[in-house]
Amino acid sequence: MPLFDSEFLKKLEYLSIVSRRVFRGSLLAQRRTTQLGGGIEFADHREYTPGDDFRYLDWNVYARFDELLLKRFQEEEDLHVYILLDASRSMEFGDPPKFDYARRVAAALAYIALADLDRVGVVAFAGDVVADFPLTRGKARILPLLKFLEALAPDRDATDLSRVAAGFVHRNQRRGLAVVVSDFYDPGGFERGLDILRHHRYEPHVIQIHDKREADPRLLGDLELIDVESGAGQKVTVTEKNLRQYRRIFDQFQESLKHYCSANGVGCTRTATDVPFDELILRMMRVAGALQ
Amino acid sequence: MSLANPAALAWSALAAPIVVFYILKIRLRRVPVSTILFWRQIFEEKQPRSIWQTLRHLLSLLVQLTFLATLVFALAEPYFHWEIVEARKFALVIDDSASTRATDVAPSRLAKIKDEARRIVDGLRFRDEMTIIAAGTQPRVLCGLTNHHRALLEAVDGVSATDGPTSVDAAVELARKLIGGQKNHTILVLTDGGFDGLSALLKAADVEVRLAATPHPSNVGITRFQARRSLLDPVGYEILAEVFNASDESVACRFEVDLNDNPIDVVPLKIEPGGTWRQVFEKTSTEGGRLAARLDHDDALAVDNLAEAILPRREVRPVTLVTPGNLFLEKVFEANPLVKLVVAKALDQAPRTSGGLIVLHREVPAKLPPGPLFVIEPTTACDLWDVGPPIQNPVVAKQDRDSELMAHVRLDNVLMPEARRLVLKVGAAEKAKILASSIEGEPLFFSVDRPEGKVLVLTVNLDKGDLPLQTAFPILSANALGWFSNSRGELRPSPSTGDVVSWTPTARGPLVLRAPDGKTRPLPNDDKPITLGPFDLSGVWSVEHVPTANVKPSGTDAGKGVEAGAPEFVIACNLANRDETDLRPRDVEALKRPSPIPAGFGGRPVWYILILLAWLLAAFEWFLYQRRWIS
Repeated sequence: MPLFDSEFLKKLEYLSIVSRRVFRGSLLAQRRTTQLGGGIEFADHREYTPGDDFRYLDWNVYARFDELLLKRFQEEEDLHVYILLDASRSMEFGDPPKFDYARRVAAALAYIALADLDRVGVVAFAGDVVADFPLTRGKARILPLLKFLEALAPDRDATDLSRVAAGFVHRNQRRGLAVVVSDFYDPGGFERGLDILRHHRYEPHVIQIHDKREADPRLLGDLELIDVESGAGQKVTVTEKNLRQYRRIFDQFQESLKHYCSANGVGCTRTATDVPFDELILRMMRVAGALQ
Repeated sequence: MSLANPAALAWSALAAPIVVFYILKIRLRRVPVSTILFWRQIFEEKQPRSIWQTLRHLLSLLVQLTFLATLVFALAEPYFHWEIVEARKFALVIDDSASTRATDVAPSRLAKIKDEARRIVDGLRFRDEMTIIAAGTQPRVLCGLTNHHRALLEAVDGVSATDGPTSVDAAVELARKLIGGQKNHTILVLTDGGFDGLSALLKAADVEVRLAATPHPSNVGITRFQARRSLLDPVGYEILAEVFNASDESVACRFEVDLNDNPIDVVPLKIEPGGTWRQVFEKTSTEGGRLAARLDHDDALAVDNLAEAILPRREVRPVTLVTPGNLFLEKVFEANPLVKLVVAKALDQAPRTSGGLIVLHREVPAKLPPGPLFVIEPTTACDLWDVGPPIQNPVVAKQDRDSELMAHVRLDNVLMPEARRLVLKVGAAEKAKILASSIEGEPLFFSVDRPEGKVLVLTVNLDKGDLPLQTAFPILSANALGWFSNSRGELRPSPSTGDVVSWTPTARGPLVLRAPDGKTRPLPNDDKPITLGPFDLSGVWSVEHVPTANVKPSGTDAGKGVEAGAPEFVIACNLANRDETDLRPRDVEALKRPSPIPAGFGGRPVWYILILLAWLLAAFEWFLYQRRWIS
């Protein structure tokens, strides 16, 4: 079954329409810049100084008050949206695999952004950047982007967000929205990577994906647990008490991510893979619309 | 400690595979997880307890080996020597007499006695043995000497209250015969203490008594209730009733009597503590039936508040009197309301009545007619006798006082100037039963039981002498009518529970005795007298024919086929026992005695405890496994 079938594309179109109607200009749509310039939306007046373009003189004001005032307009610029997609082996876990879910979410976000004339780039990472879809613009570019996503495969390396973020921010590119789609099971911690993005004036948004079996594992007895990323094993005897401990630790991890995001003004969306991806996008839209 | 089955220890070899399986490493199931970060946090926290991690599997091995050891040891059936030496023998006497129905102890005395019995059975050791004897009506062994607890408990559960008298003394004697010669024997008596032998039992060394009663119960009961037909009045009857107040305070109540559910008398009573009220009622009825007396009083024992008696029915009987003329003779039959009299001058003029009595005065035919015959002063010979010269002034020297024909009749003081001398013919003499005879041995009053019908002969000349003027004459004629109609005796006694009654069947065929609760028990099928009882329930008992296939209408010869449910004989049985009515224990101090529960540890053998321990170990292992404390 293809990852992006016609049904998926229909949902993308629907999400694109809904996004304009519901929260135009909030998350991914056009952003007004503080820069005044050649836009079409009036901002204010200022006094004419020699050298100014006569085309922006407000002749009506001159006719009524005999003052030369220059009309100023708010200049619009397109938003750069960077989608950092976790392609580590841990994302392969789950039913459906978290990686498939993450790619669908990334495709949806990219489609909405492209439909709103924003620029979109996708960076797949694990221990380092494993694949890169350069910034692109225009709705017509969605198909190559989908092909890129479909061709992605999980990498062997363990997740290292800080390393990836360090490399990402030093690229010669405009700042913009950095949507990180990952499970954030980073042995080095997720905070460092997000800090790097923030400190370099990117606007990070976190989408954390987990599988219900990760939140509530049904494992009991003598087991050898194998880490799918590192391949490391651990022989354990899992009891009901251990399961309760596990659930507590997992909840603490989830809470720590949420707390980090709220403390630093970072958008945060957490979801399990049993939530349909379009429902997740709509939820994100509602949250964003409510915020603005 | 010894082992009854030491060969079972060979099962210990099963420990080898258990240890082998323990030593063999079991490959762990590999489970991929998206990250091991969280699991490491858990198990790194538990690192200081790593010794326990190692020991917990050893604990599993130890639990399994202990489980096996207990099972093997149980199979070897260990026992202690003292179990054999100190094994005890018990006889448990359970009083299920009528007084144990009393409800002064909730729910009843018998229920409490049975609870106590169950506790005693539960307290038996494994090798203790017990027999259970019921002591109501008559001693009955309910369960032989056994150590099988279930059989003993079933015997206790099967005890139901009787209406019979207490027979604890006899039951104790029976118990002594059963276990008296054995070592470590004890007789445990569970009773309500309502019998006179209690004090002696309390002093007996081999008897332990436990009472189920309250010190001062209140009860009033009918202790006597009998009915009989009047000796003088053919339709009259008399009722004897007695009520006993077996309580420590005076009682006011009503005594009601009814015949076939029709009230015939109600008497208000007020009886002092320990007092007795007694009265004879005189009533009339030709119908007869079921007399019932009730005490309208709510007390601890209900069974003695009701008593019943059977009043025999009086049948009107056709009598044909063939006489040349005798006023006394006519009047003595005419005065009897149960007689339908026809008087004729000669036998051939008399109407033929089926089954009726023919009274022949003086002249008799040469061959006596079939059927019942009462011949008075025969003057002619017949096929049974020849007539001799008259006997002048006969004096009655001998009369059969045991005969029902002679009941309440005395002829020795009657003036009889003349009587007929009869010489019985061969064949008749053997069948004749002399009821009264003269000094010379001449028969004056005799009966002959011939196949064609009974014959009763009175040789006295009624025209001379004062016999017709004496009270003996109507009594004699009434006795004769009763004898001919087979209504033997005027008294149908109501026996007390525990009594027996002898009864002779009048017809052949299989018979059953039906108890008041509807249960039947078969009776011997012969002509000999049958002993009915001892009755253990109060109420109406009846002897009935077992229905046979070849049923003929009533009136046919008995034994060729009878209808179901037609009682052959009915008898009313009452408690009528002052000892049972008096619910007060004869020794109140005995109520304070402790329960005689034998010391034991649940009556379980050692192997049973071991099996229990094995199950506990299995449950412990299962619990540990489920909790993942061991694997």
